[in-house]
Amino acid sequence: MADSITLRVITPDSIVLDTEASSVQVPGLDGSIGILARHAPMVTALDAGDLHWTADGVEDDMFVSGGFAEVRANTVRVVTEASERPGDIDIERATKAAERAKERLKDRRVEEGSSEFDVLRAEAALRRAMMRVFVAGKVNR
Amino acid sequence: MASVKELRQRIKSVGNIKQITRAMEMVATTKLRRFQDRAIASRPYAEEIAGLVGRLAAVLGDGVQDLPLFVQGEGERILMLVVSSDRGLCGAYNSNLFRELEAWRTANADKTVDYFVYGRKAFQYMSKRGFDVKRVIEDPRLEDIDYRNASIVARMLKLEFESGEYNDVQILYSKFESMAKYVPTVAQYLPIDATALGADDGEKQSGDVLLEPDAQTIFDHLIPRFLETRVYNSLLEALTSEYASRRFAMKNATDAADDMQGVLRGIYNRKRQENITKELLDIVGGAEAVR
Repeated sequence: MADSITLRVITPDSIVLDTEASSVQVPGLDGSIGILARHAPMVTALDAGDLHWTADGVEDDMFVSGGFAEVRANTVRVVTEASERPGDIDIERATKAAERAKERLKDRRVEEGSSEFDVLRAEAALRRAMMRVFVAGKVNR
Repeated sequence: MASVKELRQRIKSVGNIKQITRAMEMVATTKLRRFQDRAIASRPYAEEIAGLVGRLAAVLGDGVQDLPLFVQGEGERILMLVVSSDRGLCGAYNSNLFRELEAWRTANADKTVDYFVYGRKAFQYMSKRGFDVKRVIEDPRLEDIDYRNASIVARMLKLEFESGEYNDVQILYSKFESMAKYVPTVAQYLPIDATALGADDGEKQSGDVLLEPDAQTIFDHLIPRFLETRVYNSLLEALTSEYASRRFAMKNATDAADDMQGVLRGIYNRKRQENITKELLDIVGGAEAVR
């Protein structure tokens, strides 16, 4: 392939993915970032979300729970704590987790004096759960 | 001198023990391999995180040394996490660890130290000897540790450090050097030693790297991950050491049982032979008398 970039997804348990891609989209903190071959060196923090890439004309997705992406020497290294392929996501569980997080947020907002930390955590949990459901929805395209 | 019957019994019981120790040796071998595999599998992630920390620290320059997690805490006290095993029968693994612990305590006798303990053996030892154990981590068992749970421990230590009560945080664990060498080591966990960062590769001139959203934000996200990998790595190394030590101990026990069986069998055979000879003499003597 003439214009491709290596995409590698690294988690504490294994190297989940190592492939050549023609384009990669990573869920940056301030929104999705597109990366093509010969991208300039870059480091970005990631939010929980959808890692999207195209390899051999086929689009593919993976849920990542946050972490970082580093572009260096024509390689995108996604370093994340947890990743899941759309087919492996337990939608029911994710939906329930989203419900729980919403409940927690509701309670906390009403209750005065709950720590900001708890709210942040519930929000993060909610975002993770919703992104899981979103990525899982991509499997049947 | 034991009778023939007693000897036979002893040979049998030594044989039973041998079977057990051999089974335990095999279990330890399997688990050892599992933890080793996990330690190897976790390496790319840890290296990547450490590499990022180093490269970003280079971008941030000297400012790094003054960040909260890089300077000693306000407090006077020290917090130490001690990682031992949950179960015994692993040779000198725990006693070596405790020796290092005592040595460290003597060397830091002028300081107040709070202890976090992971592993039941250390808790049993320390609670009897006047160590100020502040917290025992029991769930999950050390053996079942995964990255997620290690990160909870990491967060716990970080919160304690940030409470301002402590000057620094240390981890005592058995470093895995080789199959036959596990060194109890005290490693400084917090504050992070900035001089130890980023010495990994020559890509320091990373001035034109794009940073999204900016160096400080990425760094703030990166440091907790970096600390997590350090806890995870220490725990995995401790587990690897534990099982290597256990396998070694069980192998020795099996070999010793083998030797003992050999010796006992020798005595048994001689004794049996003696008895036969004696009986023969009796019979021959009796026959003579009748004639």
